[in-house]
Amino acid sequence: MNSRSATVIGYVLGFALLFVIWHLASQYLVSSVLFPSPFPVFERGWVLLEEGLLQESIWASMRRIIQGFLLGSAIGIPVGLAIGSFRPVRLLLEPWTEFFRFIPAVAMITVAVIWFGIGEESKIFLIAYTTVFVVIIATAAGVGAVGRDKIRAAQCLGANKFQVFALVALPATVPYILTGMRLAMANAFVTIVAAELVASNDGLGKMLWDARLFMQVEDIFVALISLGLLGFATDRVFRLLIRAFAGRFNPTM
Amino acid sequence: MVGFVELDGVGMTFRGRTGAYEAVRDFNLELSEGEFFCLLGTSGCGKTTVMNMLAGFDTPTAGQIRLEGKPVRGPGADRGVVFQGHDSLYDWLTARDNIAFGLRLRGMGRSERRAIADRFLNMVGLTGQGSKHPSELSGGMKQRIQIARALANDPRMLLMDEPFGALDAMTRAVLQTELSRIWSENRKTVLFITHDIEEACALATRVGVMKRGPGGTLKAVVPIDLPYPRERTSDAFMASFRQVHELIHAEIHPHE
Ligand SMILES: Nc1ncnc2c1ncn2[C@@H]1O[C@H](COP(=O)(O)OP(=O)(O)OP(=O)(O)O)[C@@H](O)[C@H]1O
Ligand SMILES: [Mg+2]
Repeated sequence: MNSRSATVIGYVLGFALLFVIWHLASQYLVSSVLFPSPFPVFERGWVLLEEGLLQESIWASMRRIIQGFLLGSAIGIPVGLAIGSFRPVRLLLEPWTEFFRFIPAVAMITVAVIWFGIGEESKIFLIAYTTVFVVIIATAAGVGAVGRDKIRAAQCLGANKFQVFALVALPATVPYILTGMRLAMANAFVTIVAAELVASNDGLGKMLWDARLFMQVEDIFVALISLGLLGFATDRVFRLLIRAFAGRFNPTM
Repeated sequence: MVGFVELDGVGMTFRGRTGAYEAVRDFNLELSEGEFFCLLGTSGCGKTTVMNMLAGFDTPTAGQIRLEGKPVRGPGADRGVVFQGHDSLYDWLTARDNIAFGLRLRGMGRSERRAIADRFLNMVGLTGQGSKHPSELSGGMKQRIQIARALANDPRMLLMDEPFGALDAMTRAVLQTELSRIWSENRKTVLFITHDIEEACALATRVGVMKRGPGGTLKAVVPIDLPYPRERTSDAFMASFRQVHELIHAEIHPHE
């Protein structure tokens, strides 16, 4: 058996075990309407899928995550590269990153709603905010970690400053950038749920909030499982990208 | 008549938190074109410091270094460097693209690059391995790639800092023989750093023995006038070995 199919089988069995334990717990440990067994939850999930409501919520949340995440990365990568490459830029901007990264995005929800309203803009702002500092820090660290001999080798092969940056520092930093983006994606999930709980007309966070209001416990569990699966899937994608790029990222050749 | 490489009263004093340390003092050496010079010395005597100055990575705090009469200012494509570790290879490029890196910097076309890289792959005995990435190569293969990368760029001279230091004895012997063969074919000027006496005697036209620091400097230069490939068990080789060994021994046990 190769290691890939072993991984897949491991995941399937792991998830199955999780649902068995969940079922047993709901039957024998805490038998209460507030803690449903997986079966009614799956049934409810199926109904929501057929009605198209679940996809709508997922798409609303994912769209915001992707937009904010791309915006945050688009700002964070160049800024991180600049901080890592130029000492004056680092001295100037490091206080910013060190300051803002301790103000969590959830603390910014109130101000985001005041500034941008409860529509898309505030969510995208919050996701971008939570993404940008993680990506900056990871990117700058990556630039700093480029081996000295790699740079020296390029210099004595005739590389000018720009070539050292574009052909050595940048590709060597790609795995760090991807790792930073992976961490940022996890933050984005936290942030979007919090933002939608507080102020939103749709999305998985809103679904959670409504389900609580109307005591639809199954809906809560459907939303939770959706979040888990979405996070799991996006993280898988990042892990694959990192593995593909870490060893052999090749920018232009 | 000026030498090909001239180190003229070269000194290097490092200044750090713990104060100043004079690693190299009054280092004088002249290399002629096409020679294979081995710089031999105990650990910490300043070999890498000398090489880093010649490569242009560090600026001497005293004296001057000239290559073909021109003072060395910063690193350049005229001095190819083979580093001790193999961290200098680019993991994201194939072996072939690593070798062709310098050619690519000069804007050479893809097919021409490829042809040259393949020629140097053959030269270092890695025919057909060009599509592998460094992570798929052994330590010895990586050092071969480093040598090929430096040579493919056609530098005026080659600087090698203990390139085989991290390899096992058998691989090291094989690579020494191959380096000797390659050098016999192209006669590039080489400055080769090592602390292995046998390696120095097997490769060099001259061996320079360094005095240990602080104030490391050249203590003696021993010419090795033996034909290549060298017969390591011959009496003449043994005699050279003994001569260099005594010089080094006096450095390791100065009070005997
Ligand atoms: N950047 C630096 N700052 C301060 N001291 C340094 C620096 N680089 C080297 N030295 C000191 O200079 C001396 C010579 O170092 P160098 O690396 O040239 O030795 P080496 O002969 O190459 O030794 P080895 O065979 O172990 O590689 C050492 O004592 C070292 O501690
Ligand atoms: Mg050294």
